[in-house]
Amino acid sequence: MLPVIALEGVEKIYRRGSEEIHALKDVNITFQEGEFISIVGQSGSGKTTLLNIMGCLDRPTRGTVKIDGIEVSTMNEKEISRIRREKIGFIFQQFYLIPGLTAAENVALPLKFSRKPIDKKYILSLLDTVGLDMRAKHTPDQLSGGEMQRVAIARAIANHPHVILADEPTGTLDTKNSMIIFELLKSLNSRGLTIILVTHNVAFAEKTGRVISISDGQMNSTRLDSKHITGSI
Amino acid sequence: MTILKLALNNIKRRKTRSLLTLFGIAFSIAVFFSILSINKGFERELDRQLKKTGIHFMIVPSGCPYEVATLVLHGSILPQLLNADVLEKVRTTERLELVSPALVTQLPNPRAGRVDTIYGIDMADAFKIKPEWQIDGRLPADKFEILAGSAVANAYKLKPGDEITYTIENRRFKVAGILKETTTQDDAFVYMHIQTLQEIINKPQAVTAIFARAKDPAMLEDIIGDIYIKVTSVQIITMGEIIGSIMTIVSSAKSLGISIAVIVIFISAIGIINLMLTTVFEQTKEIGMIRAIGASRSDIFSMVINEAIVLSAIGGAAGIFLSVIFSPLIEKIVRNITPYVPGGRIVTFGYELAVLCFFFSIIIGAVSGLFPAWKASRLSPVEAIGG
Ligand SMILES: Nc1ncnc2c1ncn2[C@@H]1O[C@H](COP(=O)(O)OP(=O)(O)O)[C@@H](O)[C@H]1O
Ligand SMILES: [Mg+2]
Repeated sequence: MLPVIALEGVEKIYRRGSEEIHALKDVNITFQEGEFISIVGQSGSGKTTLLNIMGCLDRPTRGTVKIDGIEVSTMNEKEISRIRREKIGFIFQQFYLIPGLTAAENVALPLKFSRKPIDKKYILSLLDTVGLDMRAKHTPDQLSGGEMQRVAIARAIANHPHVILADEPTGTLDTKNSMIIFELLKSLNSRGLTIILVTHNVAFAEKTGRVISISDGQMNSTRLDSKHITGSI
Repeated sequence: MTILKLALNNIKRRKTRSLLTLFGIAFSIAVFFSILSINKGFERELDRQLKKTGIHFMIVPSGCPYEVATLVLHGSILPQLLNADVLEKVRTTERLELVSPALVTQLPNPRAGRVDTIYGIDMADAFKIKPEWQIDGRLPADKFEILAGSAVANAYKLKPGDEITYTIENRRFKVAGILKETTTQDDAFVYMHIQTLQEIINKPQAVTAIFARAKDPAMLEDIIGDIYIKVTSVQIITMGEIIGSIMTIVSSAKSLGISIAVIVIFISAIGIINLMLTTVFEQTKEIGMIRAIGASRSDIFSMVINEAIVLSAIGGAAGIFLSVIFSPLIEKIVRNITPYVPGGRIVTFGYELAVLCFFFSIIIGAVSGLFPAWKASRLSPVEAIGG
């Protein structure tokens, strides 16, 4: 079976003036469908860069990225937008809900950009998945941080993505809410969704199927190594 | 959820700044719409008024500057009088159905401490020259009777039967009738028999202008040619020319007004550009997120453009609404600053013009939104989200 995501010889070099930052150095990795993987590493080690490249938000300087076996590095902006829309769900540390729009409207956004009809029942079922069907009409300012992140998760799965990329989704949440989010991700995974989670939380990482540790832009091991996990909650 | 809802939501999020920008657009569209409405109303009213005067042309002393001549209608005092023989020669001209002399002068009114403009006319021709006049009371019959314009009557609280005194020879005049409001300059004059006025100022043959009407308006050019052959040192001005010369003044006022409106619109467009650029800058992360959940560059582009259009459309509609609400005020201002304004309503609501202005405001929004939208669509999602 084709891997959901496959990176081959991926390098990422950021240029800041004359300075070159090697954010990723020769990354080779594949993720199979249904996996729950955590990525750990110190701040600045390249986790977000890796996630952005896997999620087609950014292009590698060198190497190839394949999503569902399709090479994306050579695609144009429009095609890449379509891949993001159809195959990938993002969850960010900062939630990024749109203020002023209700939870339901925020969840419906990806459908809007896919030009899909917005079915109220379906939106409610998504909110039900994250346990917030009662808050459909609430705007972000009426929700707690944990609730906002759950709405963001509902938004991430709205378009039936093949893989969820979560970049420190519990980074700003307290222990209890972090647990809720993690459990939600686990239950989504148990339904067959591939999940890639960047986290500082050792306890969470230990509970995932595979742990990838990054330091200084290089993947060191695929086993859990607590030395690379810092700032855990 | 529609694109409109997204745009409205974004506009609502920055209430104060959006309101300020909206106000700018509303104001500029109001100015634009009003100026165009005035121009239309002005032309129509002027045309209507001059058509209903019942005269086809007027004869004034030559050398009388054109603009001044047109102001005879306005009650200005011409420096010269027509030669004594002119009236008789015009009267003997064929194909005219009306030849009526007028003498315009000013007389001090000691009781009111004012100077009144007096129009001496042939009372027998009054309704031929002014077919639309309505009189409370009657036309002057007796030598020392007058007809007072409604503004004069209001100012002196006159009613038919009252008396009014003019200083020269301390003549007392009886008010025979009061002219019902015409909303033209006629309201500001006092009318009396031309012979009486000639007597008072001690110039028995004095005539400022002669009003004439042809039996067949199509023959106007021939008739005027005939008169020019018969009498010298006169100038003949047709109503068409009067309309033309007034419209020239009005159209230069209009160009000035439109230039002002264009500048105001330009400034409000810069307001939109500024607001949208600030928005794009402030919502960079949100734009990054929207890209991440699948929006394409063109989606972002149209989101920003839409917002600018919604903003300017609301502003445009508000501007049109405002200028309709305030049209009486605008009318008053225009009457105060424009040299010759016909009666009737000159600021009127034109449905077509309103639609045109509304679309114009949408275009302003779309054009102003172009650059901010392009900027937003160029944002790289990664940099937008900021790692
Ligand atoms: N847009 C960028 N421009 C320049 N350098 C960047 C950019 N994004 C990240 N970096 C650098 O790349 C390295 C990896 O960053 P990042 O992937 O954000 O790490 P992490 O998410 O593990 O904290 C860091 O040194 C960071 O400063
Ligand atoms: Mg990071």
